[in-house]
Amino acid sequence: MNQDVIVSGLLDFISADGADDAAFNDMALTLFAYQFENNAPFQKFARARGKTPRTVKSWTDIPAVPINAFKTMDLTCTPIAEAEAVFMTSGTTLGSVRGKSYHPVLDVYDASMRRNFRDRFMGGRDRMRMDILFPSPALMPNSSLAHYLNLAAKDFGLHGSGHLVCARGIEFSRLYENLAEAERTGAPYALLGASFSLVHVLDEMARIGHRVQLPPGSRILDTGGFKGQSRELEPDEFYDGLAEAFGVPRSHCINMYGMTELSSQFYDHGNAACPSVKSGPHWLRARVVNPLTGASVPDGETGVLAHTDLAHFNICTTILTEDAGIAVDGGFQLLGRAAGNAAQGCSMAIDEFLKAAGAA
Amino acid sequence: MAERACHLPGLNPDALQWETLRFDQAGRDISVQVPVLTTADMGAMAAHVRAHTGQYLAQYPVARVIDIIDRAIARLLDRTDPYRRRMEDLLPAITGYDREMLRLGLTEYLKSFRKPELKRFLAEDFPNPAILDDFQPLPKGGYGRAFGPEVLAHIWAGNVPGLPLWSLVSGLLVKSGTIGKVPSAEPMFATWFAELLAEIEPELADCIAIAWWKGGTEEAETALLSEADVAFAFGGNEALAEIQSRAPITTRFLAYGHKVSFSLIGREALDAAKASATAKLAAYDVARYDQQGCYSPHVIFVEAGGGAAPRQFAQYLAHELAALERKFPRRPLSISEAASIAAWRNAEEISAGADVVGDADGAWSVSFLESADGFGPSGLNRTVRVVAVDDLASVPARAAPYKRLLQTVGIAAAPERLFLLSEALGAAGVTRIAALGDMTAPEAGWHHDGRYNLSDLVRIVEIDGRAQAAADRLAPYAD
Repeated sequence: MNQDVIVSGLLDFISADGADDAAFNDMALTLFAYQFENNAPFQKFARARGKTPRTVKSWTDIPAVPINAFKTMDLTCTPIAEAEAVFMTSGTTLGSVRGKSYHPVLDVYDASMRRNFRDRFMGGRDRMRMDILFPSPALMPNSSLAHYLNLAAKDFGLHGSGHLVCARGIEFSRLYENLAEAERTGAPYALLGASFSLVHVLDEMARIGHRVQLPPGSRILDTGGFKGQSRELEPDEFYDGLAEAFGVPRSHCINMYGMTELSSQFYDHGNAACPSVKSGPHWLRARVVNPLTGASVPDGETGVLAHTDLAHFNICTTILTEDAGIAVDGGFQLLGRAAGNAAQGCSMAIDEFLKAAGAA
Repeated sequence: MAERACHLPGLNPDALQWETLRFDQAGRDISVQVPVLTTADMGAMAAHVRAHTGQYLAQYPVARVIDIIDRAIARLLDRTDPYRRRMEDLLPAITGYDREMLRLGLTEYLKSFRKPELKRFLAEDFPNPAILDDFQPLPKGGYGRAFGPEVLAHIWAGNVPGLPLWSLVSGLLVKSGTIGKVPSAEPMFATWFAELLAEIEPELADCIAIAWWKGGTEEAETALLSEADVAFAFGGNEALAEIQSRAPITTRFLAYGHKVSFSLIGREALDAAKASATAKLAAYDVARYDQQGCYSPHVIFVEAGGGAAPRQFAQYLAHELAALERKFPRRPLSISEAASIAAWRNAEEISAGADVVGDADGAWSVSFLESADGFGPSGLNRTVRVVAVDDLASVPARAAPYKRLLQTVGIAAAPERLFLLSEALGAAGVTRIAALGDMTAPEAGWHHDGRYNLSDLVRIVEIDGRAQAAADRLAPYAD
């Protein structure tokens, strides 16, 4: 099966109204076979776990690639040099090696983003006035988030929508002008960006005592957490802060959970209550697993999230994250980073060792 | 059942607020009540301990202190003693460690605090321990007398049972008043020891305080550190830095950070008659306390050219770890610990290119690297890397970049090489060389992280040699 057939099949899959278990399973197994055939490192990885297209009968049996492997394995079914885009992890975490996702074409990624964003963020509108608190793709060509947010502004933003982060940082005066303009016109407005950028904005607005009351229907999208780039806030404190500063109810503050190692995103239905329940579209499924066995944990128990994203066709369908989660009705709750705890005793854990060794 | 942690002389327990810590390992559900202390409480308690230590403990001859500790240890070694029974009953539920491993470990550990061992402990730091009782002649001339701190603070961390005993005993031997902060992970051992001492010598009840607060809580910690003359602190570097920032410059701060340890196995330990016994000892070091100790090995360097090749040794080791899992099952893991092991296994396999074997549920894992720089941390909880080397002599240089993080090295090698390797390892930053199998059981009087346990605590008061001559001139019988 060649890439064109895969891509057109996926575009149909994404644009369909939904998919039942059998359809999801069929597509996942097709993609597993395609990746197994066309990506030698992935084939080796799967074989080492006794998983081949012959033995894997269910999408839940597809071996989950740990996100750490994106740093060292060349996970791609097409030559690296021919990729239309290479998205890389931020590399702010320990070590300088960055995880990479190769996209030979962005059609599927973009179709996935558009369909899902429209359904989960736009609240029934085709376009809104939007501002993006994140650098543009020109400034960050390897950032999947920059691409995602740019797509949002381009395909869902009304005239004047754009980026408010330049090489010098956040352009507060433009932000305040745009917020005032939205208040004046009364048309719904959307502010989208990295969670830590929104904290910077909250801090700055608090410093100068500025508050706005955005028109009804306005929305805020945050993503990515604080990553040590801003104060760490408890979710309730964060969403209370947004609601107060912008006059947008917490039910209209949407958190997007996405990863460089995926081609699709999860959303919640607002953050009136935290932790919110997140879910994906019909081509993206999450499981809560025991990280050592890969088996699903019983409902209601904490485990590590494994995601199967059919849109990630060139790389691998299933990844094992380092995020803890719990399955609940209608999706899952995200509980933060699973690994990386300190030792119980006086022995050194990996993170601490790397930090101390770096400082030594 | 609800236990109450802490021992709070000078405070009225009924006037305090109490919080509850829950422990639900080993199929039990145990509540431990811990007090919420204010700055004022801490000040009052420190004043109480300071005054009573001056009145009682500081006046005891060191032989009497040894005697009291010895009697306490004898009781804890007696499996019919109520305190020992509580330890055996509750520590598995609090820490999750296997009951039998804990029982054996406790006995072995406590044995290093009996009277003969305590004397050795003292002799290690004080050529003449009587210097703790009154002025003794100094080799340079004059006289010296060692005074322990009036208030010695201990901020313990972690769940390795009994760990507080090292610093508690150190403080007692130099006749210090004690205020210890127990970790939330294991708040009972220090409490029981303080209560037991008070039972044996009621005067000591007012010289030892055992407290608790949530790790990192500024108020109580700052109060304690400003009251203490000397402070012991245990934990990761970040936590230690934070604690240190709260200590006044006049409080002597003794930090014991987290450490990594490793093993070296020479080809002479790998012939047909010895290889599996060697693997058994190495596995024991890994399994004991599930690698939570600073002395627990993370990497085992195995020399090529012996009867068993390094790869074969890794298989023996896996076999022994599997056997130990049946005998002393590893404690149940939290999801984050399991995720850490999964991440470590994946990184070993995918990033480092190691062959990883392990049991399906992650009870143990061995990764094998044929050739690599080799040094690195394990995923903890019975995960270990075996690295093949042509010559053990190449290992010290590999460890040297991590100088500040190193502690124990377990060595299986012939005597001549033991000393040669120790020389190079010591220069690289290692502070303790142990026999394989003994890594997790330091002997009495060991120099923890290369320091003096007791003499680091005391203040030496000198009578200048010329002072005696000057005094002579003022004697009523002076000519």
